[in-house]
Amino acid sequence: MINSAGEQNVPVDRIAIGLFVAAMCLGPTLVCAQDGSLRNSIDREVRAAWEKEKLTPPPRSTDAVFLRRVNLDLVGMIPSYEEATTFLNDSDPQKREKLIDKLLADPRHARQQAQVWDLAMLGRKNKLVDGTVGYRNRGRFRVWLAKQFVANEPLDRIAAKILQAEEEGSQLFFAAHRDPDEMVNAVSRFFLATQIQCAKCHDHPYESWTQKDYHGLSGFFVRTMAVDVPGKPEITNQTGNLYLVGEKMVGEALFSLEEIDAKTKKKKTVPIKPKFLSGEELAEPEPPQDYVEPKLKAGELPPKPAFSRREKFIEWMIAKDNPFFAKAVANRVWAQFMGRGFVHPVDDFNSSNDPSLPELLKAIETELVAHKFDVKWLVREIVNSETYQASDLGAVADALPRFYERARIRPLTIEELTSSLHIAMGLGVEAALKTEPNQQMMQYLGEPTDGQGRFQGSLSEHLYLHNGEGFRAMCRPNKGNLPEKLVLGAEDWNEKVERMFLSVLSRPATSEERERFVQYLSVDAKDPKQTAQRMEDALWVLVSGSEFRFNR
Amino acid sequence: MNTNFQLGTCNAVQHLNRRSLMKGLLTTAGGLAVANWGALTHSQTIAAEAKRTGKRCIMLYMEGGVSQIDTFDMKPGRPTAGEFRPVQTKVPGIQVCEFLPNIARHADRLGIIRSMRTKTPDHGPGGYYMHTGYHPSERFPHPEAGAMIAKYCENPESDLPSFVKIGSGSGIYGAGYLGPQYEPLVVADDGKLPGFANPSVSPEIQGRRGELLSFMEQRFAESRSGDPFAAHRSAELRAIRLMRARQTFDVSAEWEKAKDRYGDSKFGRGCFTALKLVEAGVSFVEVSHGGHDTHMDNFPISKALYSIMDPAWGSLLEDLTQRGLLQDTLVVWTSEFGRTPAINNRGGRDHFGRAWTVVLAGGGIKGGQYYGSSDRDGFEVAENPVGEADYMATIYKIMGVDHRAKHFLGARPIWATPEDSKPIMELIR
Repeated sequence: MINSAGEQNVPVDRIAIGLFVAAMCLGPTLVCAQDGSLRNSIDREVRAAWEKEKLTPPPRSTDAVFLRRVNLDLVGMIPSYEEATTFLNDSDPQKREKLIDKLLADPRHARQQAQVWDLAMLGRKNKLVDGTVGYRNRGRFRVWLAKQFVANEPLDRIAAKILQAEEEGSQLFFAAHRDPDEMVNAVSRFFLATQIQCAKCHDHPYESWTQKDYHGLSGFFVRTMAVDVPGKPEITNQTGNLYLVGEKMVGEALFSLEEIDAKTKKKKTVPIKPKFLSGEELAEPEPPQDYVEPKLKAGELPPKPAFSRREKFIEWMIAKDNPFFAKAVANRVWAQFMGRGFVHPVDDFNSSNDPSLPELLKAIETELVAHKFDVKWLVREIVNSETYQASDLGAVADALPRFYERARIRPLTIEELTSSLHIAMGLGVEAALKTEPNQQMMQYLGEPTDGQGRFQGSLSEHLYLHNGEGFRAMCRPNKGNLPEKLVLGAEDWNEKVERMFLSVLSRPATSEERERFVQYLSVDAKDPKQTAQRMEDALWVLVSGSEFRFNR
Repeated sequence: MNTNFQLGTCNAVQHLNRRSLMKGLLTTAGGLAVANWGALTHSQTIAAEAKRTGKRCIMLYMEGGVSQIDTFDMKPGRPTAGEFRPVQTKVPGIQVCEFLPNIARHADRLGIIRSMRTKTPDHGPGGYYMHTGYHPSERFPHPEAGAMIAKYCENPESDLPSFVKIGSGSGIYGAGYLGPQYEPLVVADDGKLPGFANPSVSPEIQGRRGELLSFMEQRFAESRSGDPFAAHRSAELRAIRLMRARQTFDVSAEWEKAKDRYGDSKFGRGCFTALKLVEAGVSFVEVSHGGHDTHMDNFPISKALYSIMDPAWGSLLEDLTQRGLLQDTLVVWTSEFGRTPAINNRGGRDHFGRAWTVVLAGGGIKGGQYYGSSDRDGFEVAENPVGEADYMATIYKIMGVDHRAKHFLGARPIWATPEDSKPIMELIR
């Protein structure tokens, strides 16, 4: 175990454990799954990369930066004033590790994981079903996902269940990608981290994927169908429908050859056997002779087939020796917390996209399999590493340093912004959980990237921050919120400013900041209207700046 | 032109520029309204980085698909001709519809492409094609012409946004891989700014709040050089600059005098606002005019539409000429496609991409000419077919933007216009 306060001892421990792990890994049985060993492997490998690349090792993050980072990453919102002061005043050398355990056990952690997965799988402005994914419908999927994470279902099981699409609420991924081509693209990108879509129309120009590989994959999904059935309004999409997913008994992926058919004078079209990405064809029983699919009414699914191609695909995908899946999820979970994958972007493993730290990727992959895809274990190891806990300071301007030589910078999602704004204004966790991002936040702050995941602030975002009611209303003294408490409170201005900074930025103010804010707030102290206005201004400033906008 | 701007990989020069830009932000003490953030406005590095051509573009987008046969490619005496009659302009050989008297006066300034052959007669993909030059992509969004032109032609010292859409009827395709910096500012059909561009607090409060924010940002930035922080701050600055420059959008005083000539319509006011915006240095303004999807009663509806479109378009060219702006301002008149030569049994014309017309003027094009033609009845292109990519390449060429400028998405190269696209050099001076 890393002792967070006993830093002087750490290198020695690390070397010792490192050697032990290395020795174990050399053995034929490959047992690297000692608890606490992965975090050390992470730090050892990353440190070696810094040396090799001649990079200055970053300092450790301050407690305040770590506190905010780990709260946002693990529970999707900043810590409250009370949580911040408790942590910052705690002198226990193990306090970071204790906080991590506490947050991992918090139900908000499962909710946060569900949001991350939902957004990664379905995007934010996906056209999806019925022209839109109504919030309710999406909510069902998130609730289902959160249930999986609460129960700490292994990642391979969660993946299997999403593709089986049988559990109540789990069907959205399939319902959203009904077309077999979309399914092939979505499954291979998300679960196999492989982009094969180019091979739909031509053999892949740079990779080995052929059109037959593509249409072979399509063969697993061509029989899948999704239907809408009426459901209770509180759990349905906006047209009042639920989605159910089934599979037909027959149906083939068709592929047009270059050959011309003598009869029709058109390109020959032939059925393609289902073929795994590893190159093997699916061995399947002959379809029943003369089988005719029953005529289905609207909203009706066919009977479950005796032989399910989709099941065979799932078995292949999550099998221990599958060369894609474990690597893909290991890289994805790493990227979730470290900002960039060893392979980046995370859904694009290919021959020209080399991993930054191949040995470490391999080690995480191997241990994740040894730990039976226990995602909470993996998250715990990552966030306990010194690498994750590195400082946010440094000369590197890149948001996502390739060798993790400084903490990554990521903008808060609008869900995180909404919740954090509630926490910052002292409205409590319940209010933070209850409030959904509003339509304007969705529109103006929803996807602030350049299309490749890099942040770019938009004009509209700032017009909204300045002139929209969303942020301003929250900062205005009102019904027991922090601004009101501060305006009415009897403490002196220094204490008020201190509380303000701890509530919003999870850190104490510097003496320069304290001075400036006290001066700003107290200039018209006798005029209640002015005081309220200045209080609103001061809080608005704190939530509008970079420090609040990003997790770093 | 910087043809090797690599989006996916930042080279050392760009990092240096960003860094010095940040430095400028931090060290310049301010007397400006927004404290020392004003340093960014006058940053030498930004000005040096920009390769400006000084050109602007106004795109008049006839949403729904305007009819070529009833406007600039008339077929008198043929079964497809319809009810409208052509009128001879002052340019020998160029005839336009009798209901377009205003634009007809500018015939010597028009480059009329009668041979558009486009890939889709659907509004959705058609709009995407005619805004980007590309097929809609699953993998990444392409930037529309406005974003590309904003990127290469913008004036970084202007307080105004570089890409404005007046009315969103033609769709918002956005900046795609060029990023939110080049997203359009979308305003109402008549050119009025959305309410939230107006400061919600008094200038005094806004100013003092801005100073406090600036104080916090500076302290924060001192030890953090991250690009996202810089992007956040520069967007903040752009918002403040827009609020400062928002009066440019308020044309009400002058509009009173102009509305008789432009026509007292939203589109007329939109065109007049576009004039004021390019005059103030905005690089790209699109003004959309809806309702051209005339599947029934094509003739009465089109006549009514032209009565709104024609005075606005004609007066826009007039005023650009008067102010000496036309030579640097390209005015494009376009749609997502044209309309069928055959008239259907409801007196309408349907979607048609096989042989249709777009019209260019100004910006250095050779006016007073047709390019390409359709066959006798207008069903096919007879000579010089022009696809979406060539059309886009022509616009970029006129604007001084390398139509084959290469950008990178990760390791994958992507060009401003597709491979094999060619600008129509015959139209360019």
